[in-house]
Amino acid sequence: MRSTYITLFVFSLFASVALQAQESPYFVTYDHHLEEPGNLEIETSSTVGVPRAGQHWFFAPYLELEYGVTGHWTSELYLEGQSTAGDSTIFTGWRIENRFRPRAREHWINPVLYLEYENISEASRIRKEIVGTAPELNESNAESRAARAHELETRLILSSTAHNWNISENFIVEKNLTENEGFEFGYALAVARPLATLASGKNCRFCRENFIAGVELYGGLGTTQGFGLHDTAHYAAPAISWQISDNASLRFSPAIGLTHGSNPALLRLGYNYEIRGFSGKLARLFGAKP
Amino acid sequence: MKLWILLTTFVLLSGVLAQNTAYQPDPDWRAPQAATAKPNPLASKPEAAAGGKKLFLRNCTECHGQDGSGLMKKHAADLQLPVVQSQSDGTLFWKITNGNPDRGMPSFSKLPEPQRWQLVLFIRKLKPEN
Repeated sequence: MRSTYITLFVFSLFASVALQAQESPYFVTYDHHLEEPGNLEIETSSTVGVPRAGQHWFFAPYLELEYGVTGHWTSELYLEGQSTAGDSTIFTGWRIENRFRPRAREHWINPVLYLEYENISEASRIRKEIVGTAPELNESNAESRAARAHELETRLILSSTAHNWNISENFIVEKNLTENEGFEFGYALAVARPLATLASGKNCRFCRENFIAGVELYGGLGTTQGFGLHDTAHYAAPAISWQISDNASLRFSPAIGLTHGSNPALLRLGYNYEIRGFSGKLARLFGAKP
Repeated sequence: MKLWILLTTFVLLSGVLAQNTAYQPDPDWRAPQAATAKPNPLASKPEAAAGGKKLFLRNCTECHGQDGSGLMKKHAADLQLPVVQSQSDGTLFWKITNGNPDRGMPSFSKLPEPQRWQLVLFIRKLKPEN
């Protein structure tokens, strides 16, 4: 038990060190910006769940490797775990995510198609998407870990830029391939803007241009067996990102639960580090000519 | 002494060879008429180019090099060439905004609009050393 905690802590710490690009502050919503081709972004994030009476705190860290395959396609791998107070610390699974941007130029509304395969357990707590009805939070890790879920998640991402504001809307449909339980639906909406739009000539960490602030609103919309807002979880989440250096940024978002099916609050923290020209560096490592 | 001359020649030669002097613009990558005619709103603020330099070093040098001469291996444009410098501010702004993903140039629409104009200001300052 103790060694698992240490392993998880070291895992998160290593990820933080290895990590780095002015990033949107969103944790759940996606905008239309893909990773630049050949770049690798390493990100470590965590979600801390504030419990209701009778529930337990949880800490759910995840590591995300995002790679720009082409100018139209970004792929990501997630590894996730969670630790519940008074219970245990467990690895909850992995996900592979792909985002495709069919149209090259900037438009008034920029569509992106999203497809994710999840091999996770019901103990997953990272809350990367809120779909379907409110989750059951009273089960022990041993119980929920035993229930494996192979899930397919799709999103239609619509994103616009207007007067330096980003406005993004995601419509989410998720299908558990393991259980015959129909489709689950969800949404994520967000707006964000840099605190300053002109870059100063000096290198500074705390200039306003290094901060982007926004707000997210996300939640479930039921299932095919019961579409709607009944017994669903919804959150309103102010969010901020801070570009610490040329390649590194930090994000924070305290999400406030809006319904009884939500946690009272989710605290999210993320740190990402971008390795530019990763594919070229990797090729040179294996002897490819520059 | 000979070694120094040899090394210096090698370094200078590598620099020349790394530049993309053979850059040919993509004929299909054209800004619409309305975009080409847009003036740079920061044209009367030359001091804003300093911020443009910072943005350039952060976002562009990976492919265009620190002096903007373009890296051959990245097939990136030599921004010092007249074929680039002769383009209007509006055209450069449009190209930075939209990118040309099929030719490896990403879109920088995630930068606020004034910062993209700052980049245009700085690109205007890129001149061959000799």
